[in-house]
Amino acid sequence: MPKDDMAIRVEHVDKSFNVFYDKTNTIKEKILFWNKSKKEVRQILKDINLEIKKGEVVGLIGVNGSGKSTLLKLMTKIIYPNKGKIETNGKLTSLLELGAGFHPDFSGRENIYFNASIFGLTRKEIDKRLDQIIEFSELKDYIDNPVRTYSSGMYMRLAFSVAINVDADILLIDEILSVGDQHFQEKCFEKIEDLKKEGKTIVFVTHGMDSVKRFCTRAVWLHKGSIKMDGDTNTVVGKYLEETA
Amino acid sequence: MNVFKDLYQYRELLKSNTKKEVRGKYKHSFLGVLWSFLNPLLQIMVYAIVFPLILRNKQEHYVVFLCCGLIPWNFFSIAINRAAGTMLENGNIIKKVYFPREILPISIVTSEAINFIISTIIIIAFVLFDGIALTPYILYYPLILLVQYLLILAISFIISAITVYIRDIQHLISVVLQLVFYATPIVYAANTIPENFAWILKYNPMTYIINGYRDIFLNQTAPDVKMLILLLAIMVVACVVGYMIFHKLQKGFAEEL
Repeated sequence: MPKDDMAIRVEHVDKSFNVFYDKTNTIKEKILFWNKSKKEVRQILKDINLEIKKGEVVGLIGVNGSGKSTLLKLMTKIIYPNKGKIETNGKLTSLLELGAGFHPDFSGRENIYFNASIFGLTRKEIDKRLDQIIEFSELKDYIDNPVRTYSSGMYMRLAFSVAINVDADILLIDEILSVGDQHFQEKCFEKIEDLKKEGKTIVFVTHGMDSVKRFCTRAVWLHKGSIKMDGDTNTVVGKYLEETA
Repeated sequence: MNVFKDLYQYRELLKSNTKKEVRGKYKHSFLGVLWSFLNPLLQIMVYAIVFPLILRNKQEHYVVFLCCGLIPWNFFSIAINRAAGTMLENGNIIKKVYFPREILPISIVTSEAINFIISTIIIIAFVLFDGIALTPYILYYPLILLVQYLLILAISFIISAITVYIRDIQHLISVVLQLVFYATPIVYAANTIPENFAWILKYNPMTYIINGYRDIFLNQTAPDVKMLILLLAIMVVACVVGYMIFHKLQKGFAEEL
């Protein structure tokens, strides 16, 4: 187990994907083309070492394809590293893709239950948070309508409200703060500010340098699968803007 | 032992997913859950007409005899068939959220077990209808069910994980199941098979399970308890092995789907 004040520890992590030109998924193809299928191993992350302490708010920045989202996915255990290991300490929630597992025919309320259970909440815990979630989403009048009748904004609001109210110790957020209108966005920012004050650990992936500067106590700059710079937000963001601009 | 901790933490998901599997199966049909009765009932009708007529089967109480074979068989084959497709069906969620993946095959098998328990009413109905009395031996029912559940779970772990990598399995499985159907004493009695084929039934765990159901419902005797306990032990081991294979393979799910 990691030390008590450690939230996430990434040790010597390598991750590569096999890029197939013609993916063989059937036995016939596997037999016929077993040595012919063109395959390219693309290394996404190289020897990443990262320690994030409890209560830190870390922004992962970098240009497209630098491996930010992959690193986040590794932290949530959706994918696994080829080498090295990742330890997390505490309940972890990822806001990678909102509304995963929403069922269009079910009502908003039912979907809250289903979605929250995917995040590992028990019935009791969901009951306790239900009002809070509905209130946050501002969908009180629509909550018993099937989700397929929702507009995309309403859908995202509901999804975000569930995820943010899960009460995790560690939150992983991937470029989703563009939820809803100005008003709702501001509300999300405030909620994240609150979570920060409560001492939650938050890892952000974003291209919005303003939000990095606003929330993060630390920034990590990924470049071509390695950590290029790691430290105080202003210094790292300043350097990043200087080089990429 | 982390498995059990994880499953306990995610028990709500396991519960709601199982419910969804039971309810969702007949969602867009008029008769809804009634189909879990009608389906086997109609199937039994077909077999009950065909086999005595064409094959001159002399089995006494043939309908009850069929029920005890066909309904457990349906549990077996439908669960495995659905388990084979479950990862592909849920690919979208698997790629986006972490949750213990084993919940998917477990909830399929559990939902089919619930269906089976409901369908047992059909067996009991025919037993009473045919003038056979119910005896205390039916108390062995949970033991036989447990053995069958673990057998199906073990197979489902392996099948559901491998299908992600080799999609052919999904199509192959129904043919294989058809073959196993005839290698299991469902429409015929185990002792009527020619001796040189007897070994097939001997190595087929479903033989003992179906014989067990027949013993308690039809023959009104105790099942072969020693055999069932032995099978139970084997199935526990099979489940552990199946889970280990599943666990190893699940790490690549999000990338393969």
